[in-house]
Amino acid sequence: MYQLFFTPSWFNGYDLLFEGISLLVALLIASYSWKLYKVSHENRYGYFSFAFILIGLSLAVKMFTFEVLYSSPLRDGVVQVLGPAVGQGLQFADLFYRAAFFLQMVVMLGAWLLIYFISQKSRERLSKYYEVSQMALFVYLILLISIVGNFKYFVFYLTSIVLLGMTVLNYYKNYLNTDKNPNAWRVMVAFMFIMLSNMAFVFVFKWSAMYALGEILLLMGFLLLLHAYRRVTRG
Amino acid sequence: MGARRSRLELVFDILLSIQNKGGTIKPTHLMYKSNLSHKLLNQYMDELLQKQLIIINEEFHKKRKSPSKVITLTEKGSVFLAEYRRMREFTDAFGL
Repeated sequence: MYQLFFTPSWFNGYDLLFEGISLLVALLIASYSWKLYKVSHENRYGYFSFAFILIGLSLAVKMFTFEVLYSSPLRDGVVQVLGPAVGQGLQFADLFYRAAFFLQMVVMLGAWLLIYFISQKSRERLSKYYEVSQMALFVYLILLISIVGNFKYFVFYLTSIVLLGMTVLNYYKNYLNTDKNPNAWRVMVAFMFIMLSNMAFVFVFKWSAMYALGEILLLMGFLLLLHAYRRVTRG
Repeated sequence: MGARRSRLELVFDILLSIQNKGGTIKPTHLMYKSNLSHKLLNQYMDELLQKQLIIINEEFHKKRKSPSKVITLTEKGSVFLAEYRRMREFTDAFGL
């Protein structure tokens, strides 16, 4: 049987807590970036805010899906609501989890891609026409990867690792270009933790405990982002 | 020559020049410190006055018969400076 979820039973619920915290951090950063966009009218702040909203949305979808998995009453409720829409012939559970996972993947990959583009400095970007065509190519690849990832889940995590790895490099350049700004360093390390969490998720099929490690690394990444955000906004 | 400054950067430079002079500055000094032309500075000054980020006072000197104008940074202007510094720090930290 195709297996989407590898949570060890002793970790049930903790992953939801960790992701809830990460979701709050993502929304906090998104809201502050949106506020800067409203003041400055510079698109980069708007795109950055949108990227973190996408991260928040992906985490929310994952949390909802896992909550349905863990909680029988919620599962029964979802079946009652969505079952008639799906129809008698199809296996509802399989469709629900695949659809949720697909949505989670598309949105998260979109967010990593957007952050990667934003973290590139404007002089390294191509001219507008090529930038649009490059983005269209990446959107196509994200959709393709998300479809394939539904059958081979680690494709999603491998793609995330590649995108996050390139983003970490961009943030390292940013750290050097900002005269070794300590907050820039924190942001780089935060994304490194998020990248490492995706590396852990690749191996959950071998050891289910890697899922717990991945969740802890993901939480550490977001807590470091929160720390950088607090240092910046406190002045 | 450096890159062209955005509108917000110009406002920040103007207000910072006033703050660096102890919160009060003469218009001519401000023009040199902020590296703006007379015409452009006046345009921004009107906007800053409207938004109450600065006020214009008159100073009397013993040696001069007529009072001279001085520009003073308001509390709102100081708050703007602090917020803009946070914005710049956020931009640097997150590589925007």
